[in-house]
Amino acid sequence: MSEALLSVRGLSKSFGGVAAVQNVDMDLIGGVVTALVGPNGAGKTTLFNLVTGNIAPDTGEVHLEGRPITSTKPHDVARLGVARSFQDLRLFGKMTVHENVMVATEPATWLWQPGGPEAKRERLARVDEALERTGLAGLARARAVDLSYAETKFLSMARVIATGARIWLLDEPSSGLDPNSRKRFVRLIRDAIAAGVTICLIEHNLDIVTELADRIAFLDQGKKLAEGEPQAILRDPTLIAIYFGERRE
Amino acid sequence: MIAYIVNLATLVAIFGIAAASMNLLIGYAGIFSLAHGAFFGIGAFAAAQLALNLTPDLLLAFLAAASLSIALSLCLALPALRVRGEYFIAASLGLQMFAVTVFHEAPSLTGGHGGLAGIPQATLLGIEVGTPWRFLAVAAVTLVLSLLLIQILMRGSFGRALMAMRDAESAAMAFGKNIPLLKTLAVAAGCGLVGIAGALYAFHISFVIGDSFTLEQSVLLQAMVIIGGAGTLAGPLVGTLLILLLPAALTFMPMIPPTEIGTVQQFLYGAAMTLLMIFRPGGIAGQSVGRR
Repeated sequence: MSEALLSVRGLSKSFGGVAAVQNVDMDLIGGVVTALVGPNGAGKTTLFNLVTGNIAPDTGEVHLEGRPITSTKPHDVARLGVARSFQDLRLFGKMTVHENVMVATEPATWLWQPGGPEAKRERLARVDEALERTGLAGLARARAVDLSYAETKFLSMARVIATGARIWLLDEPSSGLDPNSRKRFVRLIRDAIAAGVTICLIEHNLDIVTELADRIAFLDQGKKLAEGEPQAILRDPTLIAIYFGERRE
Repeated sequence: MIAYIVNLATLVAIFGIAAASMNLLIGYAGIFSLAHGAFFGIGAFAAAQLALNLTPDLLLAFLAAASLSIALSLCLALPALRVRGEYFIAASLGLQMFAVTVFHEAPSLTGGHGGLAGIPQATLLGIEVGTPWRFLAVAAVTLVLSLLLIQILMRGSFGRALMAMRDAESAAMAFGKNIPLLKTLAVAAGCGLVGIAGALYAFHISFVIGDSFTLEQSVLLQAMVIIGGAGTLAGPLVGTLLILLLPAALTFMPMIPPTEIGTVQQFLYGAAMTLLMIFRPGGIAGQSVGRR
């Protein structure tokens, strides 16, 4: 197995008396799709927030290609090539579809972007490509707030695509999609994998997990209970019982 | 009559700049400050002191007013970095009240309760621009340049970053935006610009007093932006025109007795704001907010 692109060691975070993440180890291997699976409240999104610097861990470390990034500011983590989507999408509602995606290509916060006109052309090309791949090219001038549900999900993906990041952390990217849109979503992810993107996704749809994931990390009550190939994890009756809330071990 | 109209037009230009600067904060950056009146005053006092003690040159006054306002804007940026929403509004309210107290209680800087009177007429590169028509021209050009600058900034990556922060701060961070830097820049730009408006106001009125820069002034500037259309270029100007011209228009209506104009004005403001927020929450120049 190749070396981990992103690795998490002994990560823990408590909120008040609630241990949201407890001593979690995880590796994201280049080109491998890892699914974080577990019931609600398992700590999956908190794990994303810890990795991306949105919240600081109580203990533990995060390394990106061997370089420590624990508690690095979220904007710096993004600039290092880690893109994420949000369960509640967090689109820039009053901005157009094009502007939403353009923001994702502009790394600098200062009054201008580096690289001059050539770099701007390259960024615009990335925006066009992301809109094309997500089927939103015809809606470039529409405001995000005016999109349909499926369109907002694909806009969320278009922003991630346009970053050009090597690692994608996707939080329930296909939830609520109709079967047709789900097929388009799977194609989108497969294209990204083929282009060498490393993906970690939180997903409740086990069909999508089976279809896309190479590995599953199963979380419950902040702890990683198991990690392995999808078939092995999804056939484990104990884990399945926990997932469907039937039994807790 | 002409003098009255020129005076009104000059005030529209000055408050247009102030409202446009408020729009930078509210409309584009999503920072709801109640301390903007204080920074309007800081600019006015800086220009007044410069004119009274050194030179009435307008460019130097702009520089002094903007610099001081930007430097002191850190007092506003600090709470903006730590708290959001209603907590920041409360923090900015505290800052506004603190500033008014300083305006009243620091006579060596602000003239105290008596204010600073006798501000000389402004000059621009050695040319006298204090006459009403010339000053109107200067104020109008400053307004146009301010709007142009805002338009350029907001159409670029900086504007997109501000609006992204306004719409979803955590997502903006996830796409590489340094939120503390963005907030500091937005607050500095907004306060610097309202400082310039304050400098123009000081020269126009030739008398500045703390009572002109109270919470009421901050609320008035917010009303101009919200009524006109927050987050649009034309909105603050539309709001300024409406709020400044409405009282003037009422004085020309023979059916309203002069003693009742204030009451009618308040009634109309209240009704207009309520109806606007119900039927056009984006403001007169703003886009309607709807979902497909």
